[in-house]
Amino acid sequence: MAIDTVPPLISAQINYLIGHCPFSVKVEQMWSGCKNPNLLDRFTLVIPYCLDHVKWDVIFNAMYPLAAPDVIFGPEDEGFQPYASGTGQPSKNSLANWNSRDPSRLYSLIVELRDAYMAFQRRRISEIDDERVKFEFSTMISREGIEMYMSLGTDKPEEVKFAVPLLDIDLNKLVAGCTWRHPQKVYLQVIFPVGKKYSSVPPPPRLKLISSPELKALLSTEDFKLPTWVDGMCTAEYLPNLEQMLNTQIKDAVSSIEIRRKFIQSLAPHLGRPIEADPVFCRRATFLCSSGLFTFQVHCALSLQFPKQQPALVLQSSQHFNAHGAPVKSPTLSEYPWSPRWNSSEKADRIFDFLADEALNFKKNCNQLNQQ
Amino acid sequence: MDAAEVRSSNPHPAIHGGSGGGGGYTLPAVRFANEDILFCIDVGPETLAEMKVNGPNGRPYTRLDSIKQAIMLFVHSKLSINPDHRFAFSALSKSTYWLRKEFSSEVDASLSALRGLSVDSSASQADLTQLFKVATHEAKKSRAQNRIFRVILIYCRSSMPPQSQLPSTLKLFTLDVMYLHDKPGPDNCPQVVYDTLVDALERISEFEGYIFESGQGLTRALFRNMCQLLCHPQQRCIQDELDLPKSLVKKSPAADALQGDDNSVISSQ
Repeated sequence: MAIDTVPPLISAQINYLIGHCPFSVKVEQMWSGCKNPNLLDRFTLVIPYCLDHVKWDVIFNAMYPLAAPDVIFGPEDEGFQPYASGTGQPSKNSLANWNSRDPSRLYSLIVELRDAYMAFQRRRISEIDDERVKFEFSTMISREGIEMYMSLGTDKPEEVKFAVPLLDIDLNKLVAGCTWRHPQKVYLQVIFPVGKKYSSVPPPPRLKLISSPELKALLSTEDFKLPTWVDGMCTAEYLPNLEQMLNTQIKDAVSSIEIRRKFIQSLAPHLGRPIEADPVFCRRATFLCSSGLFTFQVHCALSLQFPKQQPALVLQSSQHFNAHGAPVKSPTLSEYPWSPRWNSSEKADRIFDFLADEALNFKKNCNQLNQQ
Repeated sequence: MDAAEVRSSNPHPAIHGGSGGGGGYTLPAVRFANEDILFCIDVGPETLAEMKVNGPNGRPYTRLDSIKQAIMLFVHSKLSINPDHRFAFSALSKSTYWLRKEFSSEVDASLSALRGLSVDSSASQADLTQLFKVATHEAKKSRAQNRIFRVILIYCRSSMPPQSQLPSTLKLFTLDVMYLHDKPGPDNCPQVVYDTLVDALERISEFEGYIFESGQGLTRALFRNMCQLLCHPQQRCIQDELDLPKSLVKKSPAADALQGDDNSVISSQ
């Protein structure tokens, strides 16, 4: 039975791309386009753009390993022709100067193409006949790191989206010990409808705060209440207040880490030294406890709303197993006496009392399960 | 540790019921590494010895049966704590061989590796040289991915201390040992075996290695020890100060009345 393989020159290009790319690019699927169906020489790249993704197919030919690849863009981007310079000059670009033995070429190509795509989108947006969009474009174009996207209706532009990076601070440096590979950022997504004639003031755009995925351990953008968009405002006016609020929110989120850290530490005299705790975001800790001869673990999860919201607790037996051979767990316990206003030793005392009682219930339930 | 069975040769034996790490525990903001854990399971004939409890249908429950269940308890628990830890498996007869070489955080991968365990009745002498060499090599790979490497050795021979040559580079991984043995008698030497294991652990282990032993044949004790081995190596106290599991009993007469039923129960299968 033959196994599908990726030709070595192609896999070297892909590995270099994934290891070095400043944005997180993924290979979605691979297939063969050549005479040998087991050689995978074509693949789809998923490239982040404007808080969404574009998918481009990269077409190599395993029978001609020295040749440069073709790249096929999405159907809505028919007008995107990155290297069609038309000036008669030989274009200096990664496709024209392809060297199959240099594994960094695909990486250079993709970075170049993404930059060209950004320029293409900007050009299209600058040509839209809509006064508000023209104004927004002219005031926001110079903002560092902004990305823009135009989506099409049946035969004309429908919406324009801006992805505006917020706060020029290095979030990665704010959290001691964090191992985020890519720089983390919070964005404001602004979506304007296009082409409608407004009698007086255009309606507010759709606004959403979106953070890069790993930031979720630190900050919840869902809980962030966006400031109101006053009628007649533009994005440039909206941003300063938003950034100030976000800055405060981030400072609070970082100091919340320390509040959670102190709480985990305060549990140790009651529940024992944790067998494992998250020292970077302090969102979880597990303890090993006993009630008589019954040994069990207590998994403790602290949400971003701690201490307003009490920790969620799950007990796990070391002596009872379900039909799949997994140690029995209690349901998540999150309704128990709690007040964020108690001092830390009172909080720890109350959790201890609750768990001492709950351990007896849990042991009884486990024993009953086993007798069935 | 079962007193009167095998004693720690450590000059500072644990004071039973000591305060342990409770008062002094801190959680500093340091980088945290997920684990790659390699189990090495003894498959010598002594793993067929029976434990003190019957399995389902009244079948005898061997050391190997209880070891497999204890490992699944460990894997499930470790993944509940943190789904990014990974596991691989090897077996020890005279030397070590792979059961599953690729590290995985899938429960099914662990289950199928354990199904590949079969007892080697001829094995008497055990040599850990290969295990330590392989672990040193694999540990370098894990460390390059910002992970830490741990070996958990489960050893079951009461008369045969393991032999080993130390690897060229030491302290690249943590070594934990679970030692199951017969009661000491004129024909065996579990104390000598235990001391040999402690010696290897102290020389080789990167972080504080834990060693537990049991000669009573009680699954409850084995499972409790496996839970103690859940301790993340970067966050451990020294074994002498390990005061876990922590008793959650309220100091009141009503609580004492409810302590009754503590029968060790195993699988409902």
